[in-house]
Amino acid sequence: MPLETQVSELAVSPSKGLDIQRIEKQLTSMWSEAGTAESSHSGVTRACTLNLIVYTTPEDDASELDELLNRVNEQHPGRTLILIVDRDAKEAKLDGYVSTRCRLLGGTGKQICGEQVTIEASGPTVETVASAVTPLLVPDVPVYLWWKDIPHYQDKLFDRLADTADRIVIDSSAFDHPHEDLRRLAKMIEDPHRELSVSDLNWGRLTSWRTLLASFWDVPDYRPLLDSIDTVEIEYVPPQSALGEIAPKALLLAGWLSSRLNWVVVDKRASKNERSAEFNLKCGESSVLLAFRRGQTANTGMLSSVRLSTKYGAASFYVGLHSGGTKLQTEAKLGAEHLVGRLLTYERRSEADRLSRELAFPGRDLVYEEALARGAQLIL
Amino acid sequence: MESTAIKENENPLRVGLRLEKTADPCTVIIFGASGDLTKRKLVPALYRLVQQRLLPAEFAIVGLARTEMSDDEFRSKMKEAVEQFSETKQVDPEVWDSFGQGVYYRSTDIGSTADFQKLGDLLDRIDRERGTGGNRLFYLSVAPRFYAQAVEQLGRAGLTKAKAGRWVRVIIEKPFGTNLESARLLNNQILQHLDELQIYRIDHYLGKETVQNLLAFRFANGIFEPLWNRQYIDHVQLTNAEAVGVEGRGGYYEGAGVVRDMIQNHVFQVLSLVAMEPPAHLGAEAVRDEKIKVMTAAREFTPERVKSDCVRGQYGSGSSGGKPVPGYREEEGVVSDSATETYAMLTMYFDNWRWAGVPFYLRSGKRLPKRVTEIAIQFREAPHQLFGAGIMEQVTPNQLIIRIQPDEGITLRFAAKVPGQITQIRDVNMDFRYGSSFGVQLAEAYERLLLDCILGDSTLYARKDMTERGWELVMPILEQWAENKREVPFPNYEAGTWGPAAANELIERRGRPWRRP
Repeated sequence: MPLETQVSELAVSPSKGLDIQRIEKQLTSMWSEAGTAESSHSGVTRACTLNLIVYTTPEDDASELDELLNRVNEQHPGRTLILIVDRDAKEAKLDGYVSTRCRLLGGTGKQICGEQVTIEASGPTVETVASAVTPLLVPDVPVYLWWKDIPHYQDKLFDRLADTADRIVIDSSAFDHPHEDLRRLAKMIEDPHRELSVSDLNWGRLTSWRTLLASFWDVPDYRPLLDSIDTVEIEYVPPQSALGEIAPKALLLAGWLSSRLNWVVVDKRASKNERSAEFNLKCGESSVLLAFRRGQTANTGMLSSVRLSTKYGAASFYVGLHSGGTKLQTEAKLGAEHLVGRLLTYERRSEADRLSRELAFPGRDLVYEEALARGAQLIL
Repeated sequence: MESTAIKENENPLRVGLRLEKTADPCTVIIFGASGDLTKRKLVPALYRLVQQRLLPAEFAIVGLARTEMSDDEFRSKMKEAVEQFSETKQVDPEVWDSFGQGVYYRSTDIGSTADFQKLGDLLDRIDRERGTGGNRLFYLSVAPRFYAQAVEQLGRAGLTKAKAGRWVRVIIEKPFGTNLESARLLNNQILQHLDELQIYRIDHYLGKETVQNLLAFRFANGIFEPLWNRQYIDHVQLTNAEAVGVEGRGGYYEGAGVVRDMIQNHVFQVLSLVAMEPPAHLGAEAVRDEKIKVMTAAREFTPERVKSDCVRGQYGSGSSGGKPVPGYREEEGVVSDSATETYAMLTMYFDNWRWAGVPFYLRSGKRLPKRVTEIAIQFREAPHQLFGAGIMEQVTPNQLIIRIQPDEGITLRFAAKVPGQITQIRDVNMDFRYGSSFGVQLAEAYERLLLDCILGDSTLYARKDMTERGWELVMPILEQWAENKREVPFPNYEAGTWGPAAANELIERRGRPWRRP
């Protein structure tokens, strides 16, 4: 929780634009006020590890975002630039205010603070607002763009901000049309002219699953079995926005397996029913059956289980939700005798934690990009 | 662009996973399973490693102690321990059951060959049933007098030899010997059954994040290493202070004292990381080679040096945290005329090109005002003073402080002009705190060290030569102090103060005050 938040309105107008120097001056005076305030006997530490640009819309819950950013700021203190954009409004509007977020460092009496500039833009000013953002970036530390919306394609604002950012954070679980949006996202990342570095919060949600699946083959005795996998079954619950489509998480997981294990999509099998979709894949001479099955045991858009089996069911490796989704169960079964499994707590990370994790990595995530590309091939 | 190509034998699904390291299937066998360390540190650390998915499902723990107990009794004791001593607090019964299935207990007499044969049979059974693959980590958390015997029994039962492609490792707790002779003897005894590469002598200080960060700080930054020598550094102060007394361990402490308990192991380990040359690479042997190299350059303590460069102390009654506390001699298990030191200050020099003439002041003690471990690097004064003496009154030379506990972090102290019409210069601190810059919970030292051992990384463990060198250096001090027990009238510092006056006088005579941490 912030110990103290100072807020100061900026005098701006669409015709004059934002006075960058004035914003910087205002932030400086807020720092010196914070340093001399009665509450800060031991001084204030300004910490800046990154710039975070948050693109959001007026429909977003501002207090929820505020709470989330407080928590993110604890792990990644820095400058946050919030852009609240109303594209549908007719009237041109440009508002801004600056604030600092401070919290007390345990037992030391010291405060650690980050700073925030909020800009509200609507109507025609949306096109030009990027020019007010870029000069406000703190030099020498990375720039992250958290696009709290479906990525806009051929959009000036997105393009300008994406060009500036070292990494763009999106969330494919919030896509309205998952299949179409995933395809477009894959295409955008593949575009060699753009060189976008994208993080997907939904990919972060798969980390536990990927870790547990990968850990089966950390065991040297199981390693050879990885080459004889011939069936993959992924059970998921479709996203609320598109009940007929495969959840992005399931597609990303399948894409990840096929890119890591060099499986190539051959064709889609005729559907047995609307609750499942099956694909034939090839790895050299061997065939792999990839089946997506709709389940009900998880929340919408989530995975319920993944099972990989070798020929004739000689060995199978399973990860699945357990106890109403609060735990994950793993099972490695070799023949009739050997069965090793365990039950682990499924720690659902908060949105703030997920975002914080993404902010720790500035470079490109090639494994994600390859998984997305393969996943998108399944829904061409 | 970084490649995602797979190297030979690499698990293709592991590529790009942000999970740093993965461990082989294995069984951890704890000697002294009914003891405090097992319940406070070891089992909670292993439970957390499992929950963090850092250990595979093919994992088991076998507890060994003399006490008669069933597997289930041991499991329920360990469950209580995890709830009491780990952050996890409330352990989910189902999750615990899944973990507990891999927890076993055997009542074992270290003197009984038959018990070790039975242990071998049990471990083979666990390998078959739980797929632990024959990899074994024996953790000796027993009284030091049993170390050699336990290893000998393991050796005789054929348990120190690994099957092809598997490993057997042994972690040995501190203290490693009580003097040079006993440390050498112990090394010789255990090396009859084990290879040095199988031996992991634990020093939990090395598991702390800031100690590891010392390597990153010194060798990943371009700006500090050029200053890290006699030309720019005036002296180094290493403070290792505890606020507590002997906490009911008076009996043990009487035979130990702070030099044996803290300095020859923990303090020397940290010191060697501060003073060593850059290693060729970060491999365990390369780092440990450099550590021993610099400790070999440490100036020996001659009788004259013990007199002039070392100070010992023992606390008398006083107060700690606002409440009255007894003196050391009034503690349980301590004799009323005890000559055991609870405080020691050592002045060290490294006779090499980098450090010639730079004193390293070390102090370690119990019942000091607060618990703190820090290294303060004091730089030389600016070569020419532009500002007058009055202006510089409040200014001390630049200091770099590396805090190891609590509140791990780094502070750089430099002078800055106080804003205003008058020229006035004051010290300001630039702080880096782990907690604030990364906001992450730092792993418990035991978690890190146990995982490292399972992964076969011995960088953070003490090698044979280092343990012996530690003893070699302190033996003249211990011997001289033992011979002249009554030379210093004990107690000579009040509990809750920064040690005996002689320690302040020694450093101040050389024009350098102790830093108040």
